[in-house]
Amino acid sequence: MELLIIFISAALVNNFVLSYFLGICPFIGVSNKTSSAISMGMATTFVLVLTAIVSWLLYNLILVPYHLDFLQIPSFILVIAALVQFVEMVIKKVSQPLYRALGIFLPLITTNCAILGLALLAAMREYDFLESVIFGVGAGAGFTLALVIMAGIREELDLADVPKPFQGAPITLIVAGILALAFMGFAGMI
Amino acid sequence: MKKQVTLLKEFTKGLWEINPTFKQILGTCPTLAVTVSVINGIAMALATTFVLVFSSLIISLVRKLIPNQVRIAAYIVIIASFVTIVDLVMKAQFQDLSKALGPFIPLIVVNCIILGRAEAFASKNGPLRSVLDALGNGVGFFIALVIMGGIREVLGSRTFLGYQVLPNGFEPWLIMILPAGAFIVFGLLMGFSNMYVERKKNLEREALIAQYRRVGREEITDDVLKEAGV
Amino acid sequence: MKQVAHIIATLTLIGVIAGGSLSLVNNWAAPKIALNQKAETECAIYLVHLDGKRYEEIKNAGFEVYKVFNEADSSVGYSLVYSGNGFQGKIKLMIGLTEDLNKTTSIEVLEQSETPGLGTKILEPPYKDQYNGLVTTPSIKLVKGVEPSNPYEVQSITGATISSRAVVTIVNEGIAKLRAVENKGASK
Repeated sequence: MELLIIFISAALVNNFVLSYFLGICPFIGVSNKTSSAISMGMATTFVLVLTAIVSWLLYNLILVPYHLDFLQIPSFILVIAALVQFVEMVIKKVSQPLYRALGIFLPLITTNCAILGLALLAAMREYDFLESVIFGVGAGAGFTLALVIMAGIREELDLADVPKPFQGAPITLIVAGILALAFMGFAGMI
Repeated sequence: MKKQVTLLKEFTKGLWEINPTFKQILGTCPTLAVTVSVINGIAMALATTFVLVFSSLIISLVRKLIPNQVRIAAYIVIIASFVTIVDLVMKAQFQDLSKALGPFIPLIVVNCIILGRAEAFASKNGPLRSVLDALGNGVGFFIALVIMGGIREVLGSRTFLGYQVLPNGFEPWLIMILPAGAFIVFGLLMGFSNMYVERKKNLEREALIAQYRRVGREEITDDVLKEAGV
Repeated sequence: MKQVAHIIATLTLIGVIAGGSLSLVNNWAAPKIALNQKAETECAIYLVHLDGKRYEEIKNAGFEVYKVFNEADSSVGYSLVYSGNGFQGKIKLMIGLTEDLNKTTSIEVLEQSETPGLGTKILEPPYKDQYNGLVTTPSIKLVKGVEPSNPYEVQSITGATISSRAVVTIVNEGIAKLRAVENKGASK
């Protein structure tokens, strides 16, 4: 039950993009086509879950027992950077089609604040191992959902007559605002 | 090599010309998340500027010692160290602010403004120029956050920096302090800033055309205009 | 090979310098941060028991609870920290209770992430003050739209029923947990 609440909270009620403002850069940058939005969402979810696992182990097995929690920020960010690099290498070796689909998005993920945000939030809320993983899955699902919805809207928006100064990022942000309002409807589910 | 610009220009370009928030669209996450009130925006901007200035300084000092292959990793460690310092100091001295900003202080690490300036500027320029560039970008970020925070706080809770500025009869626009308000205000601001830039450009262009007409120059092609920089 | 050595040496050096300077800053900041946190809890403990002068933590309860004593060093009741799910996230409360657990003295909200302007009204006196001397037996009940007619009833905030109910639920659950702990202690 607790796990379900964490999942729904991360995916819908406190959606990472629309209510925590984590991962806005890719949300604006990669949301112009549905196909690339799905790929980006999948790549990010994958890294989110891995980060949840690794950062939990790092924080609870090394940083806390040795009272090194002040090194939390540098160690998390290094682990994430290494992880992304590692994932990129593995995917390249294992599956060429998958690499072609996700490859170009992976380097972007290191500076996606959703990843570091997830690691920090999980540590701050003192989640146990399973909760952290579910939190990662939920956050990834929420990120993908927001990204895909946005991409769908933007494909339609291309055909609309948007005033020139508002084309691109500005109109995307305004639409995101309306989307955030819609997502508020999920509040109260937990 | 690019033209050497004056030191003053190095500072002022960050304020508007390449304003990190409105022009480069970097550091959007904190811009949206913490601007519920002006004071949060100010605290966030100061913390970011501190990290930006010091990491730019250090990176520009050690830029020749760091092997090219691992420079990003090295930059990240330097940035993360300064962020940790800010985080610890804020927790120790300004507990309320640190609580209000929550995970967004640690998240300064992945604020693209900092890594962006490190990679695009500090890794190629001397310490003095790097610091000025960082300060300029920091102040540009500060301006953006104060504008955002100001609009949202005044309309959303009738106050500015905690002082009531709108009468009680004014029903606060709740949406402004909700996440949705952040997106909409930012989108509108960016759109209007684009509009202003475009209008200014058009005016300059027309003035130039008129000037050319006066001196009797007939053929005003796009190339001529481009050369004049409008 | 030489290049690899150079890379490793540079990174190690940066790591050592960064780690060293951070531990210096941490040595300065850590005690202050701990002190701040303690001061905050202490402040909340006394806020819900205005006549409190001294407190003792009750260990092994499984949650944070403090027994509070007044100037004459006789017990005035408990300050209990308890949290639960609100509208959008966790709500964490400090609940002041009388010695017999039959009344709340008052409550303080320690953490919340409710909707600004609606759910955050749980922080404001009209709602919060209802808990000053509220009867907790058999349990606190939330009423909507009408004035509370019984001493154990709390009136809901218009437009924020879920937040209002969450606070009631947290207080009830916290008291139930504390009662269970007390009973176990008594039977031992």
